[in-house]
Amino acid sequence: MRVSTTDKTSHPVLIFWILAGWVGYCLLPWYMVEDGLWSFEWLFDGYPFDEDYAPAAFLIGQGEKIWLSPLLIPLALPLLVLGRVKSDPVYSRILILSGTLGFGWLIAQGFSIGIRGFNYDWLGSLFGDIRLRQFGMGYGAMICATAFLFLLTQGIAARGAINGDVFVVSAIGGVITIVTAFVFFPIAKMLFAAFVTEDGAYSISVFFAKFFDDRLWGLGCLWGARCGAAWNSLFLAIMVGFITTALGLAFALVVTRSGFRYKRALRALTVLPIITPPFVIGLALILLFGLSGTVTQFVAELFDLTPTRWLYGMPGVLIAQTLAFTPIAFLVLIGVVEGVSPSMEEAAQTLRANRWQTFKTVSLPLMRPGLANAFLLGFIESMADFGNPLVLGGNFDVLSTEIFFAIVGAQYDQGRAAVLAIVLLFFTLSAFYAQRMWLGKKSYTTVTGKGDSGVHPLMPKGLAIPVMVVALGWALFTAAVYAMIIYGSVVELWGVNNSLTFKHYVTAFSVRFEEEGIRWTGAAWDSFWTTITIAAIAAPLTAAVGLVTAYLLTRQSFAGKNAFEFGTMLSFAIPGTVIGVSYILAFNVPPIEITGTGVILVISFIFRNMPVGVRAGIASMSQLDRSLDESSLTLGANSWQTFRRVILPLLRPAILAALVYSFVRAMTAISAVIFLVSAKYDMATSYIIGRVENNDYGLAIAYSTTLIFVMLAVVGAMQLIVGRTQIGRRMSQSRTNV
Amino acid sequence: MKKFTTTALGTAIALAVSVSAAQADKLTLYCSAQEEWCQLMARGFEDATGIDVDMTRKSSGETFAQIRAEASNPKGDVWWGGTGDPHLQAAEEGLTMEYVSPMRDQLHDWAISQAESAGNRTIGIYSGALGYGYNTDLLAANNLPEPACWKDLLKPDYKGHVQMANPNSSGTAYTTLASMVQIFGEDEGFEYMKGLHANINQYTKSGSAPIKAAGRGESTIGIVFMHDAVAQAVAGFPIKVVAPCEGTGYEIGSMSIIDGARNEEEAKKFYDWALSAEAQNLALKVNAFQVPSNKGAQTSESAPDMSTIKLINYDFKKYGSSDERKRLLQKWDEDVSTLPQ
Amino acid sequence: MTIQSKAAPVRFDGVSKVFGKDVRAVDNIDLHVDAGKLVTLLGPSGCGKTTTLRMIAGLEMATSGKILIGDRDVTKLPATDRDVSMVFQSYALFPHMTVLENVMYGLTFSGFAKPEARSRALAGLDLVGLKGFDSRLPSELSGGQQQRVAVARALVLEPQVLLFDEPLSNLDAKLRRQVREDIRAIQKDLGLTVVYVTHDQEEALAVSDEIVVMRNAAIAQMGTPRQLYDAPNDRFVADFIGEANLLPCEILSVDGDMAIIEIEGYRHTLPSRGLPTGPATIAVRPSRLVIDSGDGVPATVAKATYVGVRMEYTLTGKFGQVFAVHDNVDTPLEPGTEVRMGFAAKGPVLLPE
Repeated sequence: MRVSTTDKTSHPVLIFWILAGWVGYCLLPWYMVEDGLWSFEWLFDGYPFDEDYAPAAFLIGQGEKIWLSPLLIPLALPLLVLGRVKSDPVYSRILILSGTLGFGWLIAQGFSIGIRGFNYDWLGSLFGDIRLRQFGMGYGAMICATAFLFLLTQGIAARGAINGDVFVVSAIGGVITIVTAFVFFPIAKMLFAAFVTEDGAYSISVFFAKFFDDRLWGLGCLWGARCGAAWNSLFLAIMVGFITTALGLAFALVVTRSGFRYKRALRALTVLPIITPPFVIGLALILLFGLSGTVTQFVAELFDLTPTRWLYGMPGVLIAQTLAFTPIAFLVLIGVVEGVSPSMEEAAQTLRANRWQTFKTVSLPLMRPGLANAFLLGFIESMADFGNPLVLGGNFDVLSTEIFFAIVGAQYDQGRAAVLAIVLLFFTLSAFYAQRMWLGKKSYTTVTGKGDSGVHPLMPKGLAIPVMVVALGWALFTAAVYAMIIYGSVVELWGVNNSLTFKHYVTAFSVRFEEEGIRWTGAAWDSFWTTITIAAIAAPLTAAVGLVTAYLLTRQSFAGKNAFEFGTMLSFAIPGTVIGVSYILAFNVPPIEITGTGVILVISFIFRNMPVGVRAGIASMSQLDRSLDESSLTLGANSWQTFRRVILPLLRPAILAALVYSFVRAMTAISAVIFLVSAKYDMATSYIIGRVENNDYGLAIAYSTTLIFVMLAVVGAMQLIVGRTQIGRRMSQSRTNV
Repeated sequence: MKKFTTTALGTAIALAVSVSAAQADKLTLYCSAQEEWCQLMARGFEDATGIDVDMTRKSSGETFAQIRAEASNPKGDVWWGGTGDPHLQAAEEGLTMEYVSPMRDQLHDWAISQAESAGNRTIGIYSGALGYGYNTDLLAANNLPEPACWKDLLKPDYKGHVQMANPNSSGTAYTTLASMVQIFGEDEGFEYMKGLHANINQYTKSGSAPIKAAGRGESTIGIVFMHDAVAQAVAGFPIKVVAPCEGTGYEIGSMSIIDGARNEEEAKKFYDWALSAEAQNLALKVNAFQVPSNKGAQTSESAPDMSTIKLINYDFKKYGSSDERKRLLQKWDEDVSTLPQ
Repeated sequence: MTIQSKAAPVRFDGVSKVFGKDVRAVDNIDLHVDAGKLVTLLGPSGCGKTTTLRMIAGLEMATSGKILIGDRDVTKLPATDRDVSMVFQSYALFPHMTVLENVMYGLTFSGFAKPEARSRALAGLDLVGLKGFDSRLPSELSGGQQQRVAVARALVLEPQVLLFDEPLSNLDAKLRRQVREDIRAIQKDLGLTVVYVTHDQEEALAVSDEIVVMRNAAIAQMGTPRQLYDAPNDRFVADFIGEANLLPCEILSVDGDMAIIEIEGYRHTLPSRGLPTGPATIAVRPSRLVIDSGDGVPATVAKATYVGVRMEYTLTGKFGQVFAVHDNVDTPLEPGTEVRMGFAAKGPVLLPE
């Protein structure tokens, strides 16, 4: 006989969070410990009485920070429910009350009292000008807040929400809270910054003045002057979207519908954008096509032309972005082109359509939603790209770099950065919205699970030849660019002294073996290890948040699920520069004060890459028959046990993929990172940008090349492992799903 | 195995000790000079005093932005290096702290007068004159005459060959703008900028980028501080440095202590040390060819000899102020940058 | 170690389930399943039978009404907390666990120590005839074997109610008969309460103590297989359980509980089932049509098909079209033959018009 958890009076999870709340309040340092909690120096440095390290309880005991004392009430309240059964209405009421009070008070006090006393004047006039101040919340406060949050969700679950499922309600509450804190809050803070006048007041006219700026919307390029950054970005993004989609389609057709022999090599192209640090392609293009580039010089001598700086500006950025994002379109379109059921094409052929007619009337129309999807992806990626315009932009200003220079430039203008970010966000969100709302309903490539034994017909000849030429030509070009990258890393001083040398690698990665062990003497090691560490911490967290979210989205239904989904996928459409700016604005002051720490980097990676984890999770979870988890539930496992023992083991390949992907993305990210790095936590990409700025191309390219090979190894290892597990899973799946 | 454990334990203890020793004394340094120089200064100070230095390198504009953003909760202690204007601006906004160093009597007059003009919230650590450099190979390849004056750059021959930074994003370029206004007078100065605009192939974001592009052969002429041009020449690029015949403006690389610094004592120690001759001599190790502010510090042979350069009487107070800066930049934005090229 | 039964009755009081805003999957049904009985939910797809089953399991929550298992109100309990187990259509065996791990899975959440859980699981496998298969992976079993693992996995928990969701639909025809007999045997031996969903009326007739026919989210009729077959309440049930020819007729007179009807001059006497005189419908099973008895409705043989054990005829006439079977395969009727079609003395049922 199964004992229902509903009748139990001692709930281990409840007790855990009550305890956690008290530990956070009475034992852990309440505020940020400057040297980090994990150094444990605070333990020997005046804890628990020193004001910097004291837990809240000790602070109050010494008459300090008395505004933390009301928290004792919600901390004590849940003790009343111990011994009560879950179905008792008092149980849920008390927990909800305690959670709301505690969480609410924590937030309220955090925002009201800052480092210089009250943050709002009316509070000062209400309570008088008392000398109050506090720093950012530390682990004590954080654990306390978490405890309140989960007490609240347990109360809500006990009231019967989501069948009273504590795990699901808590997971929803948790995801909503962190997404609100780390996506919506900073974005909102940034939006407000767009309305701030120079003396700190709010004004709409300031916003409009900045919004209708000529530098943003000017159309000067029509008569020889310069166009505004908004138009430039838009125009560039549309071009990139079209070209990458066309090239991606050409590649996909070659791989799936031609007799081409080296398909696997072509497929390997799809890995490139993932493992390439930004702006490396830009550098390689300069080395090839710049004023003194190899190709430029060669052509100029051959035809006796005067070399020009044509690369700098729109053409260069366009080429670089096309190189960078074509593989993404390729990746998307392979799935689409393969997803068109061969039996449809075979049916068309038996209905007397020839190859060309079949392609035109059946295959292509069925691919149309996929093409639109690839276009929008290229559009969004181009809008958000930061590295290539930075290196190759010339006088061609785009939004992403303008945002950067509005913040870091001598004219330092947060308001302008915010306005630019809003425009950029508007573009990407529109594309994102179009992609979801319009395309979401239009996919023709549904996988039915039924074996489709047909074979894709080959392309018609008239199409095959140009497609092959274009695809292979571009593939060769890509290969040439990457070869250039490697070559560039072993040249002494590009264009001046072309002798081969390993000196850049030595400068960056030399080690010395001494008695005490290895000394990492290379200039790059610091940032290299920081990058690896941060990426390694961020990757599992990203995968975890992504998979839990995917689980909620695919396996649970609850009110507001659509909004929830939109919210979690939103950060996909937020360009990194926007995230960077908004994080600086939001997290430099209490209550969450994490700029300059490694934590902010980790968090920015989690929320930048979360949509990828969510997508991977959704994709593989929707392949898992729902009856698997239902049967687990009817066998007496609760939803947490089901998640852990049935879903997670079956998702191992997806988890691994999400892990590696977020790891690699964290290593190559630049746009958000460049705002968030600090002396202690310098990342590889921002270090490389520094070298580029310093004209030290050799070192920059050597470092980038090393990163490419490191990531190639990581991705390769993953494909080996995943490849194997996937085969195993497919076999077992096909049998169970008969 | 056992040996390994003991060693590891020993290392751990040593680490813990060193960490806790350093714990008491540390310093967060914002550095706006080039990476190597910053590194060298940080390590040099550590060696000299045993105080742990946490160094971030960012351009002066970025650092200024960061200090302004962090104003309500300063994270940095000292801001070292970078052109003087943002330091002056920070002083004007009260973001930096007043401090009169005991090292003052060892400094050149220009350093002290700059400090006084900013209410002692900043001080000069080096200076460099504005000028330009050109890629000799490219100049020859394009059969261009050798320029020697500012006005030379207006010749139509140079169309598409000149690069300078955007005054909106670069202190160097703003110094250029302000210098032209001071050399030619405001109206003629802007006429000059308009003429120059026609020849410019790109306004870069960063101040020293034009000469780096010239070094790599991506552009012919770059308007920069001369010491940046010298550094490229010394690094092996075919660059010739020009001190314009009309005279030129200059910058004073500065240093300030951030107001509300968490490690004020250490910050002052660094400040004093950075003004010493031995600290300023470090510049030579990293090919920084600016003129040091300490009278006793050495200057490089490759460095441009300040005594041979015609320096104008640059009004740091006026042209470093936010209002004047904004006015000039806006005027440049409206009258110059919108012209067709 | 043997598997015990803790069979309990199931009760639905006015239970409804609404999906979204206004999709009524189950509309105000009352249902009582006695302890130790096998009850089948039968109906066309979309009739609400699976939703009803999932509400017993706790995989769907009733929008209104009350569900009781034993004497406990479980309306708001999630699946985890109900003492119910379920065999899924797809079996839902966990592909990453061995057969034994699959069967032990539920036991580990029921507070059994490992050795105990193990011996119970082995007993369960023994019961379904899969001794020695415990260390295989589900993918190494045939469909029928997988099915039995799923049954064992549900059985070992000794649930108050055992649920089957179309358990045979993935098996081939021969295996189906075998497995359904096995299920019925185990149910009877252990005295389990079983609720069984199927859309196959033959399967329902074969295994059930009682059948609940559902239509449009409501219960159309409930009763033993015999009752449903012999005395359907309405045309829908008559047509759904077994095959029935529905012919319009006229009730001429009612005498006690017998009635005399007429179709095109042909008269027949049968139970009146409370219907008054006037137009009505008569439901006749194909085997209860007597062809060429001399007396009867005039009809023409439109189609004749030989299926081995019998002949199948399609007859047309003024009444429309009927389907009849005949045991005489030696002298079949040719298409086009004019015949008289009568009704057997027992079998035809009167239904309201």
